[in-house]
Amino acid sequence: MPSLRELQADIARAVLLGEPEAAAVHVMADGIAAEQRLALYQGNVRAALTTALRLTFPAVERLVGVEFFTMAAARCLRAHPPCSAWLDQYGAAFPGFLGAMPECATLPYLADVARFEHALSVAAHAPDEPALDLAALAAVPPSRHAALRFRAHPSVTLLRCDAPVDAIADAALADDADALAAIDPCAGPVHLVVHRGAEGVVTERIDAMDYCFLDRLFGGATLAALLEAAGADAAGLLAHQFITGRIAGFSEADP
Amino acid sequence: MSPLGVPAGSGYPAGAPIQASAGIGLRFPHHAAMLAERPPVAWLEVHAENYMGGGAALAYLTAIRQHYPLSLHAVGLSLGSADGLDRRHLERLATLVDRIEPGLVSEHLAWSITGGHYVADLLPLPLTEEALDVVCRNVDVMQTRLGRTILVENPSTCLRFRHSTIPEWEFLTAVAARTGCGLLCDVNNIAVSAANHGFDPLQYLHGLPPACVGEIHVAGHSVHTLPGGRTIRIDDHGSRVSDAVWGLLAAATARFGAVPTLVEWDNDIPPLPVLLAEADAAQQVLDRATGVRHALAA
Repeated sequence: MPSLRELQADIARAVLLGEPEAAAVHVMADGIAAEQRLALYQGNVRAALTTALRLTFPAVERLVGVEFFTMAAARCLRAHPPCSAWLDQYGAAFPGFLGAMPECATLPYLADVARFEHALSVAAHAPDEPALDLAALAAVPPSRHAALRFRAHPSVTLLRCDAPVDAIADAALADDADALAAIDPCAGPVHLVVHRGAEGVVTERIDAMDYCFLDRLFGGATLAALLEAAGADAAGLLAHQFITGRIAGFSEADP
Repeated sequence: MSPLGVPAGSGYPAGAPIQASAGIGLRFPHHAAMLAERPPVAWLEVHAENYMGGGAALAYLTAIRQHYPLSLHAVGLSLGSADGLDRRHLERLATLVDRIEPGLVSEHLAWSITGGHYVADLLPLPLTEEALDVVCRNVDVMQTRLGRTILVENPSTCLRFRHSTIPEWEFLTAVAARTGCGLLCDVNNIAVSAANHGFDPLQYLHGLPPACVGEIHVAGHSVHTLPGGRTIRIDDHGSRVSDAVWGLLAAATARFGAVPTLVEWDNDIPPLPVLLAEADAAQQVLDRATGVRHALAA
């Protein structure tokens, strides 16, 4: 008789990997083969996780078609099963998985479209955070401003993509073949910041310099380090992050 | 006012008990209609995992909570995991419970996590003394963290294990006795498992302790013919409640009395009026049961 832990590992192999042999030994056949019974659960698991990926990556599905998406999802969930039951978080590995699939080589922007869609999903489902405490920030004496570090709202993702993935995703979701054909995927990189504001999920295109500034800002650089490397309108750029709600908190660097 | 226009502080008192009436499972397609139309339904139940983040979903739930008693039905704690509970997931649930202050919190006699991986289904347990110890330990951890008792739901299953030694109703009864939890009696799951495994659903119902049953679920299920001709039932919650399940609900309410009774519908979700009509049908069964008990009392 297997221990419960051993049995559960065997069943996971059956329903996630399609390897039912070890688990089937412990299942009553009772008129239906044990493997057939396990296959019912395998089908449920595959359907549930494929649906989770489909909800997060709708533009990817439009670009590759339902059949290919279903196949790619089935392969991905074998290699990268979820780590928790909070399935809104599932799918972080899918963009990289798509990028490594030889079949996707003809769509070099596909993995970046998936990264963009994952950023949208992260933004939609990130935990709520209290608004930045501006009064507390204002109370920091000027002599300590240089040591301030800011914390991004958990909904924020910065993306640098070789193709205009935001436009590609929009055209794909609109089923607009003409718009899709008009996009030049080699037109140069786009820099995007995705976050959830008061009105919902927002994507903003930014230029390369602003991207570098936000990358340092959200990476935890001190205000002194930020201003040292920033262009002329650092104050305006920082204020814009406060106004949009992309900054959730601040701390003072250790002296 | 909240972003959704609900005055703060109005509505149902925090943690108010859910009355012994029919409710419906609330899913995303009906969020807006529930707020805009506020149809007369006694209570709502949601899957806790759908509200563990922030943003629009949680804002809707918080607003709806102002108008309806709510039950949180978790599907991902994996009470049967030999590895123990996913503490981070339990913290997410605890945060949601603190925010929503639901009238009921429930989970399943099933498992879905092993070796750090979430297998996205409610998988059956071997009904053994070892599994009983594991489930009781996990229910204890969950109840201790939440600071309240939970209800544990009987599963529907498509397979049984050779080394099971305890009838499922006895297993559930033991979990309730050892942990103090209540039971969620899903009569659709009983009907499905009874058909799949060839036992009498009434025997199952009569094996459950009435004092422990705090909620009942009804739902639709589908019948599939497998290669070889055998049929198997799947509780896909994708259709109306079958006559057989309505019959079991009547038998359950005759035994347990009227308790909060939920209509679940998760796939091919119908327009809200269809769901509400199913809840009305469930309410009629509860009313008949209450009438019978009143008649007996008189």
